[in-house]
Amino acid sequence: MLIGNYKETYAADEAILRTPATRVWTVVALGAALAFPFLAGDYLLYLVNLMGVLAIGALGLNILIGFTGQISLGHAAFMGIGAYGTAILASRFGLPFWITIPAGGALACAGGMVVGVPSLRVKGLYLAIATLAAQVILEWVFTNWTSVTGGIRGINVAPASILGFPLDTDTRIYFLILGVAVLHFVLATNLRRSRWGRAFVAVRDRDVAAEIVGVNLFRTKILSFMVSSYYAGIAGGLWVYFTKVLTPENFPLSLSIQFLAIVIVGGLGSIPGTVYGTVFMTLVPEMLKAGTGLVRGVWPDAQSYLFPLRDVVFGLLIVVFLIFEPHGLAEVWNRVKRFFSLWPFAK
Amino acid sequence: MKHTIRFSVLLLAALVGLAPAARAADDVVTVGACQPITGRFAFAGVAINAGLQDYLNLANDKKLVPGKRFNYVYEDSGYDTDRAVACFKKMMAQHSPVIMYGESTGLGKAIAPELNARYKVLYASASFSSELADPKTHPYSFISGPTYSDMFGILLEYIARNKGAARPKVTFFYSDTEFGKDPIASAKKRAADLGIDVVGEIVTKAGAVDVTSEVLQLKKTNPDYVIFQGFVLAPIPEVIRATKDFGLKTKFMGTFWSMDKTIIDKLGQDAEGYMGVNPFAYYYEDTAPGIAAMRAWNQKAHPDVKYQPNSYIQGWFTGMVYVEAVRRVVASGKPVTGENLAKVLDTIKDWDTGGVTGKVTFTEHKAGVGRVYRANAQKGIFEPASDWIYVK
Repeated sequence: MLIGNYKETYAADEAILRTPATRVWTVVALGAALAFPFLAGDYLLYLVNLMGVLAIGALGLNILIGFTGQISLGHAAFMGIGAYGTAILASRFGLPFWITIPAGGALACAGGMVVGVPSLRVKGLYLAIATLAAQVILEWVFTNWTSVTGGIRGINVAPASILGFPLDTDTRIYFLILGVAVLHFVLATNLRRSRWGRAFVAVRDRDVAAEIVGVNLFRTKILSFMVSSYYAGIAGGLWVYFTKVLTPENFPLSLSIQFLAIVIVGGLGSIPGTVYGTVFMTLVPEMLKAGTGLVRGVWPDAQSYLFPLRDVVFGLLIVVFLIFEPHGLAEVWNRVKRFFSLWPFAK
Repeated sequence: MKHTIRFSVLLLAALVGLAPAARAADDVVTVGACQPITGRFAFAGVAINAGLQDYLNLANDKKLVPGKRFNYVYEDSGYDTDRAVACFKKMMAQHSPVIMYGESTGLGKAIAPELNARYKVLYASASFSSELADPKTHPYSFISGPTYSDMFGILLEYIARNKGAARPKVTFFYSDTEFGKDPIASAKKRAADLGIDVVGEIVTKAGAVDVTSEVLQLKKTNPDYVIFQGFVLAPIPEVIRATKDFGLKTKFMGTFWSMDKTIIDKLGQDAEGYMGVNPFAYYYEDTAPGIAAMRAWNQKAHPDVKYQPNSYIQGWFTGMVYVEAVRRVVASGKPVTGENLAKVLDTIKDWDTGGVTGKVTFTEHKAGVGRVYRANAQKGIFEPASDWIYVK
């Protein structure tokens, strides 16, 4: 049983992975992640790729909501900015992905800077509506600025390639998504421990108090919006190379809501919680579908009745979750961990 | 803690449920489908699914392809492209079908790179988008019927044939979506060729309720015809009612999705004279043996069903094409693979469907045929206003 974590050096104090157990498990998890595409089938691999992209986007929203206490209903649109930035640079100028994806992120970041400005004056529901405007306006721009965005027909993008080696299958793009995701999760972990990260949390907990202790509210909020949008933009860029086709219908308001749900179900302000939330929101509907598929042999017409029911069950699951575990899946996981580390004294 | 463990066990059990199933035998042709049974396209998805399933059952029952049995597997994809792609991949992994059916234009575009390079199965969908009717970029896809551009072509052809002394004036009234905008560019060109003036284009949101400004625009240009595209119901009834109030003599036309009987039910007496193009015959038509066979099958399979909507017939017709393609491949002695099925599409010429639609000839992986129907408000049905019109 682990009873304490004794640190003797500053380096040990600064480490992200503090105990031998976490180090071992991290290595195991990374190893499993590297082996995964060779073991999993197409369908699971596709879902995992999708989850990877969504998780990066959701992490951005978690930085904004969970860390800084601001809200955005325009997150999907920022993902759209990144996606369009990436797609245009790739398809018109033939730039490689290691330029286009960061450029898409930078573009979304600039967009976030503009949209973040109202956050200085309005809070809560009012801010939600202000960011909703961004969602609506950007969706309109994607659809109607035909000369740039390709309008309703969108843009087709060639697969990303490294030195002429195309990342054209789900297995190959998986490694790109994995790499970018790991990088950005480490980045977020470090951001939270930095001066800016602490400023975010201070603003979230009490903005007036934060200002009194010397946190520049305006800069902090804008920065949070910028970082958040940057993450969305990166997710958008990856999404382009993942699906290879981009239309304005890919970034609807419902995606913004889905990001919100991921963050809340996963755990506000929790970085691993973002991953759990993404997995839950993506896999559970698929599992419920698989469940309805099982009864096909017994009752062939069941599907037409059960499919609509699935959305109801999924909705109920989320509600039940929020009632019994408002801190999200991250807290459930923490309880599991505590159980094992305190065993046999815990129950 | 107990709950957590139980939860994990449930998760694991569900994961096991996702594991792939065994491959099918040689005499079975598996048809997979990702149908929008939930979501905003469910109004059509449920019926398309039923039509496709019923026809494949009929093909099995009547042994339309000797030595082959169709196995139809479907899943809900909720009219969401990401979920639909996942569904497509899952279908391919679990059932290895040689024929797939997809829910939307979005899925058709998203799956195209892999469909062409890897899966190579015959693919049709609920979409009539002209973008998918290109054998160069979508060699395995076909449109089960005419594209939206073809439907506009048929309507314009009808207008040109029935014009008086003056050049007819037409306004295109479409929604701000891929579905709405798809045929507009080609329709403008076609109108110019046929000597029809396009005097206005009105773009609005699907489902819009306040149509005052749009109707005022119509009053200004006073077109002979207005063609709607990209709507199912609203705002079509609102526009028709409001223009009647203004005393305009404009005739209104729609394409496939706005040609179901529901629009007459909604408009009541105001539906009189509403016209549009339908690639397929209606369920109640007496003259077509193909439709009679459909009614007979329904009487047997679902005795309580009195009417089937257009989307059911669309699904049924897609089933007919699938079965015909398989029949031709089997007759040629080749194995039933996606590649052979796609190739055989081009050999379908002047194919008689028993009046479910006109004579079917696939060019550019689409069948450019349809008929103009006019609403009879008294009887509450659509009646043919022309014979089958063919376009290329």
